[in-house]
Amino acid sequence: MEALLNRYTFAVWQRNALTWRRLMWSSLASNVANPLIFLFAFGFGLGSVIDTMQGVTYLAFIVPGMMAYSAMFAATFETTISAYARFKMQKTWDAMLSSPLTLAELLTGELLWAACKGMISCSCVLLVGALWGGVPSLLGGVLALPVLFLAALCFAACGLAATAHASSWEFFSYVFTFWVTPMFMFSGVFFEVARFPEFIQILSWVLPMTHLIEVIRPLATGGPLALTAVLGHILLLVVLTALAFTLAHHRLRRRMFD
Amino acid sequence: MSDQQIIDSAEPAAVEEAFVIEARALTKKFGEIDAVRGIDLTIPKGRCIGLLGPNGAGKTTTMRMIMGLTRPTSGSVTVLGEEASRLPRSTRARIGLVPQDNNLDPDLSVRQNLEVFGRYYGLLPAEINERVPQLLDFMQLSQRAKSPVMGLSGGMQRRLILARAVIGNPDLIILDEPTTGLDPQARVMIWRQLLVLKNQAKTLLLTTHYMDEAERLCDDIVLIDNGRILDQGTPRELIRRHVKPQVIEIRKPLPRHLPLSQTEDLGDSVLLFVDDAEAVIRGMPAETSFQHRPANLEDVFLRLTGRQLREN
Ligand SMILES: Nc1ncnc2c1ncn2[C@@H]1O[C@H](COP(=O)(O)OP(=O)(O)O)[C@@H](O)[C@H]1O
Ligand SMILES: [Mg+2]
Repeated sequence: MEALLNRYTFAVWQRNALTWRRLMWSSLASNVANPLIFLFAFGFGLGSVIDTMQGVTYLAFIVPGMMAYSAMFAATFETTISAYARFKMQKTWDAMLSSPLTLAELLTGELLWAACKGMISCSCVLLVGALWGGVPSLLGGVLALPVLFLAALCFAACGLAATAHASSWEFFSYVFTFWVTPMFMFSGVFFEVARFPEFIQILSWVLPMTHLIEVIRPLATGGPLALTAVLGHILLLVVLTALAFTLAHHRLRRRMFD
Repeated sequence: MSDQQIIDSAEPAAVEEAFVIEARALTKKFGEIDAVRGIDLTIPKGRCIGLLGPNGAGKTTTMRMIMGLTRPTSGSVTVLGEEASRLPRSTRARIGLVPQDNNLDPDLSVRQNLEVFGRYYGLLPAEINERVPQLLDFMQLSQRAKSPVMGLSGGMQRRLILARAVIGNPDLIILDEPTTGLDPQARVMIWRQLLVLKNQAKTLLLTTHYMDEAERLCDDIVLIDNGRILDQGTPRELIRRHVKPQVIEIRKPLPRHLPLSQTEDLGDSVLLFVDDAEAVIRGMPAETSFQHRPANLEDVFLRLTGRQLREN
């Protein structure tokens, strides 16, 4: 695995960064506008009904949730819709594999780039949230970023595993309906998972984003945090990343070389 | 100490591969389809080899197996002394591919397409900055360096792909239909660049549907159909082996008393393959409408692969 962080991986990352740079400003604008719209709606809408949640203002409660969601959405989008375009439509991956790049390097580069896009998105949320006065512990908010990076890698790897199995664009509507939307609804972005009936809570804890939010919300709101629990959540994200990456690599190897 | 130095300095003269490509009983099945059914091929260093065959003959599949991009069902291929399915990076860096379908990066400019590939080939930034302008110049694309690739003509796109294939200064260049769909000017331009590469002692393996192109560029021709090699040799050898040297195309109705030992019926005319064209022409009535030319590779190709259409 350590051999995967080499300059070839970085070359793949750079290729994606290069294409992003052309559309950087419009991309950043939507990354800032999105959380603004959400925070505006929820800050003024639900926030006026709900006084506090877990002992903090509702705004402070949803900022880390929005950070997690934006990182998850950006990383997932990058390794599903965007990566599939490079794989099947533009044949960019075919071209890359005709060079000395290996499939593992290609996929690692894609993963790192997708995680970076997740970081750009959630950093914008943190910025907007902090300016809005919704981040009680700014230090905690910043400390959440490395955890978000790990989680973004995990979402990217899961997206890649889906892409490896996709035979058409329609496949991704399943990914968004049965993976992205449930994380939006059931991972605790808008309220505590504990308020759900038990069978939904089980579903919640299957979703990696629930574990992410469980770690970063106490960080950003300055709440109590148990170290062993944090390690447990992070371990889960790391293991899932490794599994999803292995699955993606295995499947794509067969699809591209057989 | 000094002994060690002598041994070290002797090292670079190490074994040079006798053959750049060696394939043995290579086969590939895609499900029920037998794409390649047993190909043996040896390609010596510095030669230009043309792989000719109708659509679906198995040319692309063979090339992809040589590059390690498609796993053979059975048989073996070695490339530059290494097994194709497990090429180390150092060997892969010595191979360049012009794929059949354009797969330039539409999100990047002409120059960026080369720079990005330079990094995939492990070139350092200084090497990339030196090599990219040279290649743009070589392929006459300098004026379009900043253009998006989507705006390029077919010929320019093909030239850019060729530039991309040689960014790592490869010893072996594999070209899958480098000129298909191009106008004559664009083809001539690509030929010129290929001849330059050939003169640099690079080994070229190419496929084409244009027989004149194969005759002009290739030292050796390998004719394949249905996943098998039909015959191989220099263009002259193939012509000598399979058809008589002279061709007379005669419009119907045919005059009588013609030597009809080797003919091809084209519908409204007939091709007559003969050893001595002058004698035959002398024997024909004056009003016969005919054309006379030497036999060429296309005659061999059509003779060996038949005239029925292959749509794929
Ligand atoms: N990935 C693939 N999956 C299934 N069949 C394939 C695949 N690639 C090629 N074939 C089939 O294998 C045969 C040989 O194809 P190909 O090597 O592309 O021929 P050529 O390049 O000579 O036109 C054809 O019948 C083609 O349809
Ligand atoms: Mg082909």
